[in-house]
Amino acid sequence: MVATNIPASKLVAPGGGIDEVDLTPVRTYWQLVRSRFLHHRLASMALILMGLLILASIVFPIIGGDAWYKTSLKFGQKDPVSIIAPLGYDNIGINIFYRLMKALQTSLMIGAFAVLIIVVIGTVVGSVAGYVGGKVDNLLMRVVDVVLSLPTFFLVIMFVAFLGSGNVLVIIFAIGLTGWTTAARLVRAEFLRLREAEFVQAAKALGASDFRIATRHMIPGAMAPVVVAATLGIADAVVTEAALSFLGFGLLPPEASLGNMLTNAQDYFYRQPLWIYYPGITLILVVIAASFIGDGLRDALDPRQRVDN
Amino acid sequence: MATYILRRLIQSIPILIGISLLAFLIVYLTPGSPVDRFRSPRVSAEAIAALIRAYGLDQPLPVQFFKWFTKFWGFIWDPTAWGYSFVDGAPVRDKIFARVPATLQLTGAALLLTVVLAIPIGVLQAVKQYSWWDKLITIFETIGYAVPTFWLGLILKQFFSIQLNLFPLFGQHTFGKTDPFDLLWHLALPVVTLTVVSTAGWSRYMRASMLEVLRADYIRTAKSKGLGTRPVIFKHALRNALIPIVTLLGLTVPTLLSGAAITEAVFSWPGLGGLGVDAVRDRDYPVVLATVMIGGALVILGNLIADIAYGYVDPRIKY
Repeated sequence: MVATNIPASKLVAPGGGIDEVDLTPVRTYWQLVRSRFLHHRLASMALILMGLLILASIVFPIIGGDAWYKTSLKFGQKDPVSIIAPLGYDNIGINIFYRLMKALQTSLMIGAFAVLIIVVIGTVVGSVAGYVGGKVDNLLMRVVDVVLSLPTFFLVIMFVAFLGSGNVLVIIFAIGLTGWTTAARLVRAEFLRLREAEFVQAAKALGASDFRIATRHMIPGAMAPVVVAATLGIADAVVTEAALSFLGFGLLPPEASLGNMLTNAQDYFYRQPLWIYYPGITLILVVIAASFIGDGLRDALDPRQRVDN
Repeated sequence: MATYILRRLIQSIPILIGISLLAFLIVYLTPGSPVDRFRSPRVSAEAIAALIRAYGLDQPLPVQFFKWFTKFWGFIWDPTAWGYSFVDGAPVRDKIFARVPATLQLTGAALLLTVVLAIPIGVLQAVKQYSWWDKLITIFETIGYAVPTFWLGLILKQFFSIQLNLFPLFGQHTFGKTDPFDLLWHLALPVVTLTVVSTAGWSRYMRASMLEVLRADYIRTAKSKGLGTRPVIFKHALRNALIPIVTLLGLTVPTLLSGAAITEAVFSWPGLGGLGVDAVRDRDYPVVLATVMIGGALVILGNLIADIAYGYVDPRIKY
């Protein structure tokens, strides 16, 4: 009751007028994430690189039309290096540059869809296991153990070989169905953490259904580690596809794939030493870009990290 | 400890059953039948029917699975426990055992080299964090980590075998030679391929682990007691930083047999991975099943070894 007689203006802390109140706008979680990500120099560069790769894989196959499989009599021709064929022509006269871009498109597409399957299965299994708990959790986690114990790459080869080599859909599903275990474990761990969170208790108290609580309240909060795993998973999926095609289980010519371009280049080791570098370096660029974006996201999505300028 | 190992072994039984069930289902429920490879105009329908009976394929799937699964574990005394290869009729067990030495030579040498290289590299990086050496190695690690093994193998072959003509292109021995120098000469490129890729990952791991330890309180205590840099790093920090590496080592055990399939394919190395890939290509089901089972069993064993070793090197862990 001491302060009643003091004028309101004097209540303001010394040295601070009303207009010195912190007026920086409150930033949402995703704004913070974006800002943290963009401060990660390598991650931003990787994002630009990935953007360029995706753009190239969309634009050049459109410009090139049928150039990626059309043969010509210019086989093995390197010079004059022209704008039409910057990397020359391969052993059956296909424009290597356009074939490479088409292969990149195929690889990125397989990577993206395989990761989509991984995320969907992983999220469903992980959230059911984490939310329901008990026997269901135990059973699902044993299934995860079984899939984790199987030699993954060998399993992918088996899937593809027995269900149809050279089929893009089969390859996507083979990679997706064998790779979801990590995502499932991550989502489950997040769910176990969130299950006791206050906002979940509040939703429960308000009478929200289990499905609604899981999908609307918990999954958004559980996705951060999955996003990171998915980004890194794209790199894995692209390499797996290339390895499959390289071993002859994946896409077969005339379909273009980074792996089967490598297999083809292997036969021209001596006369055309550069041919194995084109698909190889493209592959490495994709992997590096994806892993740096993944690293940047991991740091950016962690709410404990501060934005330091 | 003994009860812990026993409990873990018992826990792994359902996982093993799961693995075998999944492998079995993939093989037998996918389109096509194991006897398809024998179908040709010169093989009569009766012969095919006889084959189906001989393989027991006319029996219900659960019965087939049970028979196969129970017979499988008799491999220690029964050479036919894993069945006969569809390709050459040889007992699968002998076929697989014959490939084990070659794979162990390749992966064992690569693992040894990786450990010998990665630990000093990682330690040096952590001790001199943010130095030009650290940055340079980090760049190499990033590239090494991103390079697919099969591509690296191709590049090495192209450079060292074709352009410089220093190493053989593929295979395990020069025809008619069996001396160890010839073997080492053939081993060089595939081992380097595997080592580069795994060293990139391991040294990163070692660096992170060492950095974490170097920030610990007991390191500061050791330093403030007046201990020199060398004893602090090697006696206090390194020993603790190696704990996660031991786990990694245990988890690597399964890849000793199955992890080199692609490298083996690139260098035509006559190992297990190559056998498995060829078996899938030829639809040699008994060999495929045996390979998957061995791979799965090794993963379980590797996890067990990792956990036991973890408790052994870190007395804070109690079972």
